[in-house]
Amino acid sequence: MDDHPVRLVVEDDLHRSRLTVFLRLLLAIPHLFILLLYSVFAFVVAVVGWIVAIFTGRLPNGIHGALVGYLRYATRVDAYVGLAANPWPPISGDRSQWMTYPIDLELPEATKQRRLTVLVRFFLAIPALILSGFLGPGQRDSNAAFTGVGLASVATVLGWFAALVRGRMPRGLRDLIVFSIGFGAQTWAYVLLVTERYPDARPDSHVDALPLEPHPVRIELGGELRRSRLTVFFRLLLALPHLVWLTLWALLVTLAAIVAWLATLVTGRNPVALQRFLGAYVRYQTHVYAFLFLVGGPFPGFDGRPGAYPVELTIDRSARQHRLVTLFRLLLGIPAILLSLGFFGVLFLVGVYGWIVGLLLGRMPVGLAELGAAALRYLAQTNAYLLILTDRYPYSSPALATEQPESEPEPSEPVH
Amino acid sequence: MLAAAWLGAAALLWRSVVPDDLAPPDLDVRSQFDPSVLAEAERYDRFLRLEFVLSEVALVLVLAAYARWGTRLMRESAAGPIGTGMVLGMLGLAIAWLVQVPFDLLTLWWERRHDLAETGYLEQVFGNWFALGAEFLFICFALLVVMALARRLGRWWWVPAAPVFVGLAALFVFLGPYLIPDSHPLEDPELRAASQTFAREQGLDPIPVRVENVHELTSAPNAEATGLGPSRRVFLWDTLLDGRFSNAQVEVVLAHELGHHSRHHLPKAIGWYALLALPGTWLISVAVRRRGGMGEPEAVPLSLLVLVVLQLVALPFENVVTRHVEAEADWVALETTGDPAAAKALFRGFTSTALSEPSPPLWSYLLLETHPTVEQRIEMAEAWAARPR
Repeated sequence: MDDHPVRLVVEDDLHRSRLTVFLRLLLAIPHLFILLLYSVFAFVVAVVGWIVAIFTGRLPNGIHGALVGYLRYATRVDAYVGLAANPWPPISGDRSQWMTYPIDLELPEATKQRRLTVLVRFFLAIPALILSGFLGPGQRDSNAAFTGVGLASVATVLGWFAALVRGRMPRGLRDLIVFSIGFGAQTWAYVLLVTERYPDARPDSHVDALPLEPHPVRIELGGELRRSRLTVFFRLLLALPHLVWLTLWALLVTLAAIVAWLATLVTGRNPVALQRFLGAYVRYQTHVYAFLFLVGGPFPGFDGRPGAYPVELTIDRSARQHRLVTLFRLLLGIPAILLSLGFFGVLFLVGVYGWIVGLLLGRMPVGLAELGAAALRYLAQTNAYLLILTDRYPYSSPALATEQPESEPEPSEPVH
Repeated sequence: MLAAAWLGAAALLWRSVVPDDLAPPDLDVRSQFDPSVLAEAERYDRFLRLEFVLSEVALVLVLAAYARWGTRLMRESAAGPIGTGMVLGMLGLAIAWLVQVPFDLLTLWWERRHDLAETGYLEQVFGNWFALGAEFLFICFALLVVMALARRLGRWWWVPAAPVFVGLAALFVFLGPYLIPDSHPLEDPELRAASQTFAREQGLDPIPVRVENVHELTSAPNAEATGLGPSRRVFLWDTLLDGRFSNAQVEVVLAHELGHHSRHHLPKAIGWYALLALPGTWLISVAVRRRGGMGEPEAVPLSLLVLVVLQLVALPFENVVTRHVEAEADWVALETTGDPAAAKALFRGFTSTALSEPSPPLWSYLLLETHPTVEQRIEMAEAWAARPR
């Protein structure tokens, strides 16, 4: 799939000034006020542009430029408030200053668009707007104030604490916020007729690949995207036996997790049998949720066996775990649990959209499937952390691809 | 020997307190009912009979197609053989439900046209999603039992499977009262006193009588006896207590439903189910042998078709049994209340309020009538009144 014409360019070094982080919302007030006025202006301009585009099929250059400027400015403010960037955004139309900002938005030139899609653009954008709201950094009402709590909002709050302590933004949280900002920018660019291209929900199109050192809990999205309309329509009912089995299994898992916790506290390592049992449960839960929310196509087995399902969860073998981390596992897991709730909300929306598209087209869009896989992976990593399968904290970046190691330079031929 | 045992058990279950020498008078139906009510009831039932035939034909045809091509849906499963069998069973149930939806809507339209139903069309389709979910779970459990036994015991799976399903049926009957939503205890003091008196006269411990709220769904009157042992209950629909029927008529209903409990009709129903389950499961086992037997998921679509066809074929026999049981309950009600006039008025009321045709055609009587006809019930009341005491 070719790149979306609306793209975030991220050159942030993760460094954050503790002072500006602490006062971030207060420092953002002038920008929020300007953004409010700019939003009103952009709305009026957009309406005029929409009327013109219905007849001509393209935005006039002046209107296009104004909306591009608005989108760039709004993205910077979002990045600043969301802690995705450190420096205070300049209040300037000077383009050269924009280019130095760690979060930049690439936007296309004005092009011809199909007039029918222009006419119903807002209605076509509704699913993307709702998803954008779920992703965060929060719903923005007509006063440009944040009114809803999205996934990125939770990430921002967690990042605020982390940045205050460490003076750096955790990369996973930063990438999650960048993903939501990027998707939001594409959505508003679509709504405001800057582009005709529908927003891309694939996480890899917005954020960098995962770091080389892999997490012990990894997901691989395989299988086809075709979905049988019959199984899509009855998906919730078909999943019922799995939900019943999952509930019964969870009762045993609770007991097993307590035993695993005690054993790891004493020996520093989860016993192999418990690692296998609890791992099977986490894998099975991933299979069931993948099926229920249409990320995976076929009906899963009931035993969480590895290699049995196209949405494959890999859990590394039992390794040594830090006893102190194990002792306070539940407490330390609270931020991950909060973020999990947000990811679950996104997964639910993926399922709803997937159900509608699956019934209409008989397939799952690749963007929704990958977004769902990212959500499933975070849920699985959180469960693995809480169930003493690993002491590696869940990694919140939604990227699915992993960085490729830099290839060694070819040895040069000696010059004779 | 098996046949003899079967017949012996059937004879035991068939026993009834209705006298064998009862000679009901030959009733002239037309003299008992208003001609316009009779005409409307005939018209109403004629449509529903036709709808039943069409819906059953459609169901069998679709399940036959599913039996033929349904195994292609095995690609929708990444589970093992039993899990795949479960998903094929659930999809078969889903297809059957989809086929019935237009007929359900047609029935609802007809009932609404005759002011017998209040349910909305969307509610008709999606309002029973919870019940459909329960059916999905049940079919999964049933296939788990059957396929696990078949993979273990081969072609003899039906021998232990039949008792398992009989046990499940008993469990459902026991739990039945607790699954009925939206009900409250009977409040009318006269009716409550009557139900306690009737229970005592029929040799029963006091059985709770509850009123089920259905007036938002239908205006038809009805009642039922449910439960086993400590869960025994009688449920009256609130449409029976809306003033269209006198207390004397409602007392006949109470005595009738208590008669089901005093004559052990619910345990007997489980007994009859057991008598049909054994040959039924054997027949399914034979029918699916060419698909590798019930241990293989390929057999599941065919087994669903065989099950539905067997249920259709058994329908006349089942209706003979239920009519026999309902007649006994009517007789017990007459013996308990001693009020044949109220009983006759009640049965006549079924025609005017529920448009129940007093004397349907024979084929409809055999296939659809789970109760004696209104005509037969009135005749029994007159025969009871004519007997010397």
